[in-house]
Amino acid sequence: MSWEWGVIWEYLPRLLGGAWLTLELVAVSGLLGLALAVPLALARASANPLVRAFPYAYIFFFRGTPLLVQIFLIYYGASQFDAVKESFLWPVLREPYWCAIIAFSMNTAAYTAELIRAAIQAIPKGEIEVSLALGMSKLTMIRRIILPRAAGIVLPGYSNEVLLMLKSSALASTITLLDLTGMARTIIARTYTPLEMFFAAGMVYLAIAAVMILVFRLLERRLNRYQFAKRPS
Amino acid sequence: MSTSNLALELIDIHKSYGDLNVLKGVTLKAAKGDVISILGSSGSGKSTLLRCINLLEKPSQGEIVIGNEQLMLKPGKHGELEAASSKQLERLRSCLGFVFQQFNLWPHMTILQNLIEAPIHVLGVPKAEAMERARKLLAKVGLADKEGAYPAHLSGGQQQRVAIARTLAMEPKVLLFDEPTSALDPELVNEVLAVMRELADEGRTMLIVTHEMRFAREVSSQVVFLHQGQVEEIGTPEQVFDNPKSPRVKDFMASHQGG
Repeated sequence: MSWEWGVIWEYLPRLLGGAWLTLELVAVSGLLGLALAVPLALARASANPLVRAFPYAYIFFFRGTPLLVQIFLIYYGASQFDAVKESFLWPVLREPYWCAIIAFSMNTAAYTAELIRAAIQAIPKGEIEVSLALGMSKLTMIRRIILPRAAGIVLPGYSNEVLLMLKSSALASTITLLDLTGMARTIIARTYTPLEMFFAAGMVYLAIAAVMILVFRLLERRLNRYQFAKRPS
Repeated sequence: MSTSNLALELIDIHKSYGDLNVLKGVTLKAAKGDVISILGSSGSGKSTLLRCINLLEKPSQGEIVIGNEQLMLKPGKHGELEAASSKQLERLRSCLGFVFQQFNLWPHMTILQNLIEAPIHVLGVPKAEAMERARKLLAKVGLADKEGAYPAHLSGGQQQRVAIARTLAMEPKVLLFDEPTSALDPELVNEVLAVMRELADEGRTMLIVTHEMRFAREVSSQVVFLHQGQVEEIGTPEQVFDNPKSPRVKDFMASHQGG
């Protein structure tokens, strides 16, 4: 077996270009997914069964089918409908980039909504009751008490979800995107050095994951500082 | 008592959970400055009655008047009453200070943040003013040095004093205490009772569900004894503690006062 370090150095800049796309996909769909997850989780935690029904079905579908199938459904499926091809959505839906963003966002929203719902329901009832007793409206209570409190509870689980999303983003390469995995495969097709390139790509994923873990740890220290704060003697 | 002097009136409050009737028509009036202790054995409906006043529990029947404003109620889905106007409910709740057995401080906020949250976001008090008021209240309950601490760093007694201060920060017209010392270690009870005694001396209107008999006797203007969801006896502390008409109350007093 021959191992060529040279080829890794030579193609590292292109690999890092792919890594940039990976980061972009994860960041954009992470933010969109989070924005979608909050209302889904609030509806899911509602006492009204009619309000609960939609998020329930949504979450069931996106957690119950493979992400790859969801990507293909959006990327190949949308073009099957003339109505879509003639609509204003087509310029977006014909781009593999946006198809990946849509699939990732909707997928992560489902998982994140479940995490947030569980966090909301883990808030001790007394903390909710006291908010009501002080005269807070439902909206004020959600905004000022429930969501900030749930954020602290949800964070450890959510960091898991973001790490999973980072690795799932490799599926973007199946619809022609040159993310980190897609770029590695393209380079391999040219250089026939699969071992070196996948190794290098794996190391870059690991580096990104390490930074993410660190960021979440800092965030957790900040949001849950009441648990870390030193007891004044 | 004249109507303008009325702080709180409960008329024929009923509450049932399915077939279980917890409250069977309780009527109660508090004039401004009244301190009313509500006694009774467990399961008599004391806490439920208190929680019905600000609709933390929805009564099945009855009327609630706070100051001279009647809380508008309408029938809900499951046979209980609910607020006809959430705006009115929120406004009236903000005039009713409620102190819980379990303190219920928000653990992710500092003591000061706990105190200014509702004044700012419910009453619209400017932040600087809310902070000034909060600091005065913390000094009043003897915790001026704790404003930056988190609730978990305080003892139970300190947490309950903060919870009382948080309630006072809303400048409520009536204070409702739901067994405020029952979750405390015995040696921490007195520091909370001392704060409550001070509030009573200031002439605040208070309804107190409690098991602290000596305290109830000393601070109350009226004592109400509930039994199985009904008022068994009502009167001055002297009447209810020393000369109860009801044999049940007599038994209760005998077993709770050590003779």
